[in-house]
Amino acid sequence: MKEKKKQPYAMAVMMGILSIGSYIAIFTNQEMVTDFSTRSGYFVILPIAAAFYFSFIHGAFASSVLSILGIEAKKKK
Amino acid sequence: MKKALVILMALVLTAALAAPVFAGGAPRGEFRKGIITGLDEAAGTIVFSPANSDEQITMKLGPEVNSSEITVDKRVIVSLDEQDHTLVRNVTRMFIDLDAKNMAFILFVGFVGGLVSGFIGSGGAFVLTPGMMSLGVPAAVAVASNMCHKFPKAMVGAYKRLKYGQVDLKLGLIMGLSAIGGVQIGIKVQEFIFKSWGDAGSNLYVSVAFVAILVTVGGYVFRDAMKIAKSGGEEKPSKLALWIQTINIPPMIHLKTANVRISVWFTVPVGFATGLMAATIAVGGFVGVPGMMYVIGASSLVASASELVVAFTMGFAGSVKWAMAGLIDLRLTLLILAASLFGVQLGALGTTYVKEHMIKVVMGSIMLIVAISRGLAIPKYLTDLGVLSLQPSTANILMKASFIVMAAALLIGAFIIIKSMIMGMRMSRKEVSGVAASHVK
Repeated sequence: MKEKKKQPYAMAVMMGILSIGSYIAIFTNQEMVTDFSTRSGYFVILPIAAAFYFSFIHGAFASSVLSILGIEAKKKK
Repeated sequence: MKKALVILMALVLTAALAAPVFAGGAPRGEFRKGIITGLDEAAGTIVFSPANSDEQITMKLGPEVNSSEITVDKRVIVSLDEQDHTLVRNVTRMFIDLDAKNMAFILFVGFVGGLVSGFIGSGGAFVLTPGMMSLGVPAAVAVASNMCHKFPKAMVGAYKRLKYGQVDLKLGLIMGLSAIGGVQIGIKVQEFIFKSWGDAGSNLYVSVAFVAILVTVGGYVFRDAMKIAKSGGEEKPSKLALWIQTINIPPMIHLKTANVRISVWFTVPVGFATGLMAATIAVGGFVGVPGMMYVIGASSLVASASELVVAFTMGFAGSVKWAMAGLIDLRLTLLILAASLFGVQLGALGTTYVKEHMIKVVMGSIMLIVAISRGLAIPKYLTDLGVLSLQPSTANILMKASFIVMAAALLIGAFIIIKSMIMGMRMSRKEVSGVAASHVK
């Protein structure tokens, strides 16, 4: 019998909460975000760090959602 | 694997700090960001306070500026006259108001762009910059915010395709680092043209380069894809690549995933040309991917996957520079990412279901349609230069048509990807159920 693959529900929920929560935090504080992320000096790191942060958490969230929907890469024979 | 990632990060960081990289085009002309603290409509002047400074500068408004549209106490970007740096030519709000319609538009283009990038390695971003500008985002902010979404998206796409065994990390890194050199030369050329012939000259140069490269390279890629499709879908390295691989000029490198042994003297120029194009037409991949396929001899799967490493390297270096200029609207970047991280992973996994030549079909189609789009814009720039005489209404229609055709290029590309992916998935499921049925028997 074919073994059923374990779906990444926990990962999707955890990363989803983190990602959506971070997006809500960003978009409810737009003034502050645009102000800090366009300043000079050490603030330069902010947009780069944010892009990395979102690529990890939102990227993992997107990956889990696609897996749960059954959209996965073709297995090599 | 970890070692490779550390090397990658170290190289990228060094490159980013060492080179003035404005991949995607340097900001054109003179402009300053800051706040307008006072407006005298009768005298036609403003009081401008530049960002990160307590200075208060009085500037004159040029005849093209509509003073009733100027917002006081909001952050703006003012474009200044090339000779007189106190004469304002244009004023744009630095950060647009994001309503539901704007957000939906950015998310949609972000998703489709991500899908195309994940599949062909690049090319998803070229609609985003003009798209954001059509929402009122200043050109420099649109380019910067787009650039900052490019490297994380490419990183996620490259990671996925690395897992599928399609990325040649060494090839991607060599190409990426040589591209940074190309970007700098590309910018110097752009600056020279801008200084000599102004904005219209610069636009014309970009459009002519776009049309010439896309018609030649895109036409070749498309013709090749059709040939492969007719002959049963088997991809073969080009005669040029096979000949280049026989030339033994040290240092020679072995590209494991691409399964190619080649002299560095041939890989570096391809990377350099990619950078040059990235600084000129903002889509280096339209030269990089065909270069890897037809000059270096990588398959379209490996070339498109390795292009994501190039896009990451260049995108990261470019983003550091744009962040230093303080022009990234993080809201826009993250909004694009919200959708493009889904799109890029879908596009990446799509490559495992389709025949290899489909990458060439999508790339060739997009390139040829974009060439038409840029061709439509040329008469307007020729009119601005005084070479051609065109009614303003006709010029406007042509520019709108140009944008619509460009958006169509992306949508058609996405349609081909999704259609061939669904067909590939159905076929794969049939194969699996067929195998299971034969086991039961």
